[in-house]
Amino acid sequence: MITVLNIIITGLIMGGIYALISMGLSLQYGVAKILNVSHGEFIMIAAMLTWVFVGLGIHPLLALVLCCPFTFCVGFLLHITIFRWLNINSGTAAAYESNAMLLCFGLYFIFSNIAMQIWGSNPVGFQFMEKSVNLGGAIIAVNKIIVLIIALAVSILFYLFLSHSRLGKSIRAASQDPVAAGMLGMNIKKIMAICFGIGAVLAGIAGTLISMYSQVNTGMGMGYTMIALIVVVLGGMGSIPGSMIGGMILGFVGSIFGYIEPSLSMVAYYLIILVLLLVKPKGLMGR
Amino acid sequence: MSMLEVKNLNCSYGNVQVLWDVSLEVKEAEIVALLGANGAGKTTLLNCITGLVKPTSGSISFLGESLLGTPGDKILEKGISYLPEGGRMFPEMSIRENLEMGAYPKGMWKNRNAQIERMFELFPKLKERQKQTASTLSGGEKQMLAMARGLMSGPKLCLFDELSYGLAPIMVNEVFKIVKMLRDNGITVLLVEQNVMQSMEIADRAYVLENGRISLEGRCADLINNDYVKKAYLGL
Ligand SMILES: Nc1ncnc2c1ncn2[C@@H]1O[C@H](COP(=O)(O)OP(=O)(O)OP(=O)(O)O)[C@@H](O)[C@H]1O
Ligand SMILES: [Mg+2]
Repeated sequence: MITVLNIIITGLIMGGIYALISMGLSLQYGVAKILNVSHGEFIMIAAMLTWVFVGLGIHPLLALVLCCPFTFCVGFLLHITIFRWLNINSGTAAAYESNAMLLCFGLYFIFSNIAMQIWGSNPVGFQFMEKSVNLGGAIIAVNKIIVLIIALAVSILFYLFLSHSRLGKSIRAASQDPVAAGMLGMNIKKIMAICFGIGAVLAGIAGTLISMYSQVNTGMGMGYTMIALIVVVLGGMGSIPGSMIGGMILGFVGSIFGYIEPSLSMVAYYLIILVLLLVKPKGLMGR
Repeated sequence: MSMLEVKNLNCSYGNVQVLWDVSLEVKEAEIVALLGANGAGKTTLLNCITGLVKPTSGSISFLGESLLGTPGDKILEKGISYLPEGGRMFPEMSIRENLEMGAYPKGMWKNRNAQIERMFELFPKLKERQKQTASTLSGGEKQMLAMARGLMSGPKLCLFDELSYGLAPIMVNEVFKIVKMLRDNGITVLLVEQNVMQSMEIADRAYVLENGRISLEGRCADLINNDYVKKAYLGL
């Protein structure tokens, strides 16, 4: 019984993180048409920065807030410079999509190698609310509960932003028909850059949250990129609700296998994808 | 007064020229029909006016001001609403949200709810289904939504590209009735159509585009009695 409770809580935490990461990737692909395989590097950079900030005496929750404008600016600036240049020079939309993915591979190497030069490759960490509480028999560290609450809150806020704000609605409109959106006065280039920036922020938030309950290192990014890619395929390319649900599913699968045989988690993820794509080729919420 | 004036417009896609020395005028509170067969260049002309395609030479002015160089996303703010071929609704957004997007420019956004109520009076069917996604609408209903979205910004000039395409005769009548009503309310309309007969009936003047050139123009009342038009376009 207690094991089940533990699995559920761990599943929620992992699911919350996976959902954040995947929503970011989904937004970048769905609107900006960039399959960002350097997504995990934004997670890594925010995680390492949080560790640096904490070393400077800054509270981790404040570090979380500080990382947001930083990751947004990096994403936004990358988009209005190299991605826009690439777009102009790619000719067709299909060529741009594949070129953009290649560019992201380049960014992955650049970011991970620079980070390794600066910080080395050893795991680092800090202490943050490590006391445990007893939740109906399951012993859970307070920091994990805080991480869960923040991950869920950010996911819900992001969903409300997309469904209710003017900018959020214009992002959805631009993802469904950019030409029509342009005719209605939306600046598509700006919206795409904002989406890339927001995607980076979501990854960054996940990175800071991960650093709050576990050790981090400069090589952590690619694993999360793989997970985000799986979730996005699982949930349906470009579907934000699909990413939320897919993230939760993968989180629970990861949590269950974490108890049975952790080394089988990835196998389980791919099996799920395989079965789902056979049954529903466009993903859970695919169009 | 002249609302829209296109003068000696030439336009090419790569090496292929599709518009040749096109001149056209739309006066205030007129319905002007732009007729022509598939591939004549009608949509290209609308795309030039709205800044989506760059003409190679010629001029386009709106209320005496040149439109050339105005980016596509600033056209709506000037008072020109472009309803593209097929309506191009946002399929996964609700009907109400689609209408909201028609009032996207900053100055209009805060009045969107009042405007939506006005659209619901004009198109009562949309009100009942405002929470459903646009993808659930039938072809005719989509066209109604497209018109309503195009009117959300309170435009001075509406550019309608093939409103009647693919609609059942009853829906065509309905849609054209609304176009007439717009004109009676002082909104100027440039109506791109292949439905020659019915367009002639509601329009004040018409232009015929043939292989990228204006081949005929005049008042509809005169054109309807023109022998050439009768034979070539009305099948009489
Ligand atoms: N983006 C484009 N690139 C190259 N050629 C184009 C492009 N758009 C249109 N054309 C060509 O320009 C010509 C005019 O096309 P246009 O769409 O303006 O015609 P139309 O009168 O609107 O036709 P329809 O009634 O079929 O909509 C056609 O020969 C078409 O093939
Ligand atoms: Mg056309």
